[in-house]
Amino acid sequence: MESAEAPQISGVRSGSSGTCAAEIAESLRFEEEIQSLIVHPNFEASNGSSFTALLGLSGNQAAELLHEHGLTAAASSPAGAAEMWRLRLGGDRAAGELRLPLGCSPTFPSDAAIVESAARFSVFASEESPTSSSGGGISPRLKVEQLDPDSPPSVPVLPSPKTKRSPAKRKGTCEKSKARGTAKKIKRTEEKKDPTKATATEEDTADEKLPYVHVRARRGQATDSHSLAERARREKINARMKLLQELVPGCSKVGNFLNHSRDLMITGTALVLDEIINHVQSLQRQVEFLSMRLAAVNPCIDLSFLDHILSTQCEPGAGAANGREALAWNPAPWSPDSAIAGEDVRRLLLPRQYQVWHLDLLGPQQSSMAWERDATPHHNALPFPGTGTGTSLFGYDSTNSGNEGPPAMRHSCLFQSGPIGPLTM
Amino acid sequence: MYRRSFKDTKSSLGSPNPNFSKPMVALRFLRALSLVRCSGPGARSPSYRARGIRRAAYACMAASAGPRRAWSRALLRKIRRRPGRGLRRPRAVIRRRRPVGGGDPLEVALRRLVPGGGCMEYCRLLEEAADYVKCLAMQVRLMQTIVDSASHVNSID
Repeated sequence: MESAEAPQISGVRSGSSGTCAAEIAESLRFEEEIQSLIVHPNFEASNGSSFTALLGLSGNQAAELLHEHGLTAAASSPAGAAEMWRLRLGGDRAAGELRLPLGCSPTFPSDAAIVESAARFSVFASEESPTSSSGGGISPRLKVEQLDPDSPPSVPVLPSPKTKRSPAKRKGTCEKSKARGTAKKIKRTEEKKDPTKATATEEDTADEKLPYVHVRARRGQATDSHSLAERARREKINARMKLLQELVPGCSKVGNFLNHSRDLMITGTALVLDEIINHVQSLQRQVEFLSMRLAAVNPCIDLSFLDHILSTQCEPGAGAANGREALAWNPAPWSPDSAIAGEDVRRLLLPRQYQVWHLDLLGPQQSSMAWERDATPHHNALPFPGTGTGTSLFGYDSTNSGNEGPPAMRHSCLFQSGPIGPLTM
Repeated sequence: MYRRSFKDTKSSLGSPNPNFSKPMVALRFLRALSLVRCSGPGARSPSYRARGIRRAAYACMAASAGPRRAWSRALLRKIRRRPGRGLRRPRAVIRRRRPVGGGDPLEVALRRLVPGGGCMEYCRLLEEAADYVKCLAMQVRLMQTIVDSASHVNSID
């Protein structure tokens, strides 16, 4: 039944595309390559990761293949992405990457996490814009794919019903209305990643050329919505596992590698999970331990200057005048650089010999500073009238950056001259 | 006392702060530290202070992660709930969206580790775990820096 439908479909499609012979030849070639790639046994978990892994393939080949195929994918990025990686599969066959290509999920581009890692690998994201008509097909794909990494990482994951809806939506944009239904069905009843069989068939080629392929069904697997959603979910999970792997050091062990060393694809999810759990536990233990150390060390630290620093943090170039603190405060602006935090902390905690005032940056606020200095800074006038929020001393809000300039100077009364008095609350 | 300050900290967050600005987390933490200290530095034992510091660390980590994250919300909730408040505000919080089947022991362990992990779906759990790990690592680095510089200061004196 598949073979019966497939030639029709390919006929329809090639008729519409117009580059019949070339396409079929190309797709046949891809077909063999895909088949050879499918032979690998470990397909199950590498599904989602195969997609991103394949993005590391040569973008040149992919772009050129797309160009040849003249895929005017109706700007459906998952389809385009699916095409991309499938084509790249063919291109990268020589590299001997045994990855299971099939099973591109509709959630891929909408999943910011995946697209992030995809964008990292992807040469595709770098402009490969062929000149011909397929450029139009490619650039929307490019656009869409680049949009996704821009989306904030906290984009909520689309639930599976929504992803199922979007394939339907994207289907609507496809021109080939007739081929749509049957083609999707064919694509669904596609070759399963059967490790044992590797028959080049026509329907695979037919599916390859579909511009809107979202999910690749495996042969012999059920193709109803449940399994599709399940597969999509699984791929989402795999993508997240991949991210976690990269976060947790030492997760990409050799034993976990099944594929090219370029890609951090781990299929031993149990190992990964175990590693993650160990890492989290060790981090939590470290927090405990460090807090104990801090508790032991803490009485010696004077941390009251912080308030002023906090208030002036938002001011660019507001080198906080530390009052008579035991600080050497660098008046450099507090740039949001992670490396600086350590240095600053160290600088902040320097011993008392360094009492440097950097008033040059205060400018117009010097008068208030003088006033502040004269007053006994002990009682930390906690309410900051300057801040619009009317919060207390610790209602520090980074969003008030603009307003906090001059009023922030009033906070300098928190500085203490002699003995270290705790902040009175 | 520092409970109140944490609340203020959280309420003052107009927008969720991305956790990539390490100085802000550092500042918040140091501020919280000073609060902990001033809650009777002489009268308390170091272990009590240690616990307070740990709470401060988690609280400012959660606060700087932003309210968008499920784990940060759960963490803050846990921290604030501890003082044995009798009244539970009847907030419409959907606590158990999907009760966990609990088949995979690894998954169960991960749920226990990540704050708020009991109610999430698996892929959400993984997502939150990734973010949690990131923030934890940053917090640990920060605390390490503080401890190092503090001991450095002490050794100089």
